[in-house]
Amino acid sequence: MKPWQEILSLKSTKVLILIVVGLLFLGLPLFASQYVSYLMLTFFAYAVMVLGLNLLFGYTGLLSFGHAFFMAIGAYTAAFLTGKFSILYMEVILVVAVIISSILAALIGAICVRYIKIYFAMLTLAFGMLFYTFLLKFYYLTGGDEGMRVLRPYLLGFNLSEIPKMQYLTRSYYIYTLVILAILTFVMWKIVSSPFGLCLKAIRDNPEKAEYLGVSVKRYRWYAFIISGAYAAIGGALLAPAIGQVDPGLTYWTHSGTLVFMTLLGGFENFFGPLIGGVVYIFLQDKVMSLTTYWRFIFGAILAFLVIVAPGGIAGVISSLVKKEKGGE
Amino acid sequence: MVILSASDLRKYYGEFCALDGVSFKINEGEFVSIIGPNGAGKTTLINVLTGLLTPNTGKVFYKDKEITGIGPEKLSKLGVARSFQLVNIFPNFTVLEFLMVAVVSRLGKGTNFYSSLLRDQKVTSEALEVAMLFGLVGKRDVLTKNLPQGDKKMLDVASAFALHPEVILLDEPTSGVSTSDKNKIMETLVSASKKIGIKSIIQVEHDMDIVFSFSDRIIALHQGKILSDSAPGEIEKNEEVVCTVLGQKECFKIFSALMHEHTGKGGKA
Amino acid sequence: METIVSIIFSGVFNASTLFLVAAGLQVVFGVQKVFNLACGSFYALGAYFGIVVVKSFVAGGFPKPLFIVPLIGAGLLLGFIGPIVERGLIKFVYDRDETFQLLLTFALVMMIEDVIKFIWGTSPQTTGGIDLIYGRINLFGATLPVYNLIVILCSLIIAALIGYILLNTKFGRIIRATADKKEMGEALGINMKMVYIKVFTLGTVLGTLGGALVIPATAVVSEMGVELIVLAFAVVVIGGLGSMKGAFIGALIVGVLKSVAISTYPELEMLTIYIIVIAVLVIKPQGLFGGSKV
Repeated sequence: MKPWQEILSLKSTKVLILIVVGLLFLGLPLFASQYVSYLMLTFFAYAVMVLGLNLLFGYTGLLSFGHAFFMAIGAYTAAFLTGKFSILYMEVILVVAVIISSILAALIGAICVRYIKIYFAMLTLAFGMLFYTFLLKFYYLTGGDEGMRVLRPYLLGFNLSEIPKMQYLTRSYYIYTLVILAILTFVMWKIVSSPFGLCLKAIRDNPEKAEYLGVSVKRYRWYAFIISGAYAAIGGALLAPAIGQVDPGLTYWTHSGTLVFMTLLGGFENFFGPLIGGVVYIFLQDKVMSLTTYWRFIFGAILAFLVIVAPGGIAGVISSLVKKEKGGE
Repeated sequence: MVILSASDLRKYYGEFCALDGVSFKINEGEFVSIIGPNGAGKTTLINVLTGLLTPNTGKVFYKDKEITGIGPEKLSKLGVARSFQLVNIFPNFTVLEFLMVAVVSRLGKGTNFYSSLLRDQKVTSEALEVAMLFGLVGKRDVLTKNLPQGDKKMLDVASAFALHPEVILLDEPTSGVSTSDKNKIMETLVSASKKIGIKSIIQVEHDMDIVFSFSDRIIALHQGKILSDSAPGEIEKNEEVVCTVLGQKECFKIFSALMHEHTGKGGKA
Repeated sequence: METIVSIIFSGVFNASTLFLVAAGLQVVFGVQKVFNLACGSFYALGAYFGIVVVKSFVAGGFPKPLFIVPLIGAGLLLGFIGPIVERGLIKFVYDRDETFQLLLTFALVMMIEDVIKFIWGTSPQTTGGIDLIYGRINLFGATLPVYNLIVILCSLIIAALIGYILLNTKFGRIIRATADKKEMGEALGINMKMVYIKVFTLGTVLGTLGGALVIPATAVVSEMGVELIVLAFAVVVIGGLGSMKGAFIGALIVGVLKSVAISTYPELEMLTIYIIVIAVLVIKPQGLFGGSKV
């Protein structure tokens, strides 16, 4: 029974670490600058997106190069509802974003999951770009390249329009977003450790064999695509009030690339990898951008380094170091 | 009762004819071996029977249901499973997880999005049961990519068994395994299939000792055609034909196998 | 009639440079199985460098009408990037999963974009209408710039040249053999390292040449490479991945479609192209000429 105890204690350490990190995040606005808290807030929104992206990439083996499409759906949902329909309840925005993105993901996914690898990546890219040109060209509806303003939403029914903007964002909205991230992280954890999650991993490792074991490969890929699209839309809807303005650049294919970058940076083989990648990316980008305007070159070089030398990302490096340590004992 | 039947299967790869009018019936309770030289069409036949490939002409029936080109997933739900000639595994899975995939899909739990797999007693215990039958329990938490070659092969077969099929098709289940281990593996297979309730086994096999000691029937393929289809005891009648199919070396093996049989050392399982 | 001719003409002009970039994409994909997102970036590099060369050619007092010679030279010269990128980055990922190869070329896109910004800044640049030096001619009632005709001609010559190389030279046979089966080349005892370098360089040159040729007739902006890759992708999807014939026909379809859309419903310009891409992927995923090799 000893190994079980070990696993149990290992699990409780992990849970403990998570709780500590969660509390740290929660308390951050108390001691960190508003700017750092604001960056953290954008990270929370991106974290939801990459959690969804990694269900496709890390768990199902499908690289989407158009995932920003769904985040833009979420972001524009927030802009439309607050700006054009005067619906300011954040909960309504989130629910509508989930509904719209799920329907679109179901339609687009039905086409995309018939392909894998480059074809899948390129097809998702094409859909993302389709939406990009739509946003750009139908400017009387979408504001074109200027985009749309996003009004400050009510949180849990409370109208918080009296509070100064940065305080609203780094206190109320910060906590609101963090709680949603925590819930969605937990839900995703449940999904990947469910029988469905096991089937997805089987599809990633060997679709042919999975099919012979009775797994409906395309249908499960489709489910994963829809869940993943809904996550991205929630992330987008959360990001929109934080940035206050949405524009077509959100769905441009390089922005989809950014999401993949975050996932790879943190480590797609690890559940928490994409989250680590997200936080590192956002703060690193902020740092590098303050030093040079040519941050893309540096990030390109980092990406190339990751792909060639450390495809497991930060989490991969850490876990191999831990293994080495254990082996050395 | 006929459980699996094929009628006039033809399969072309461009000009090349891999199956040239193959017909047979497999009865419930039979252990059938398919033999033939390389390129005779054995694996193509298995692929057509399991619906991975659609034949150019001809039909495959499972019981009364036509299953031609039905595809692997539906086939497994009907009760037909297969294993592969080349190692076909989920490299990043542990042995137990690997078997769980089959159990989960058999129990129809694949769309359980929100229940914990680890706390699912039924899935775990059934996967462990199969691991037990194939002697893999001790390695339940080993990643399959780190298993020795023989165990990978066993695991592939075991996962097919975990589907609890009625018919199982094994594509060279003992290839790449030392001769001394082959008999052990075959005995494991046969006893596992009895415990699980598998009705018929169809296997592709090169080792004539194995073929002769375990089969009820032997189907010999050559250039996409069935040359002989008979019980091992009757193969003498076709001996000449079979020898031309299998070449000198195998011919010698058959003779020695037959000798065994005559002296009473061989025998069916 | 007049407008139809000029629409088709400008479509074919679009197609001619698009073909070059797409051909570069195809040849590398055919041999190395790497889908090079950076081919659009090579195109942008060719365009910027083309402007520099043409401007200094004119400033050096050389006869203006000959500007096309150094322009083509500039495109060819930039081919030196090919071996550097291939040896420095791409060679490390040949036996890796396609998705990682794709990500590596995406990294390259990011880097080249900033290299361009670093050297040439962000404001749009032109050659100052030097293409008009060749004047215009009347064809079927439409007035067409001669320079664009020259570009179309160049592109056709290059297409014919590629066809000749692929079908009639040893290098072409090696390319076709390895496109069929990767192990083939190694089995024949060919130095695959050199083949990879050469093929990647060829792919690069086609991109840079395309960029250089297009530049007298348009302005450069720093996003042009990123935008072009999406178009080039449309071309290879419509034509079929890995097929040269597909690149040719695909480029014509996309080029003409683009100019038709621009002159009728400008809002629908890219929309139509993406819809066709998606339609082709759904109906005939291997593209019009998929399956036929390089």
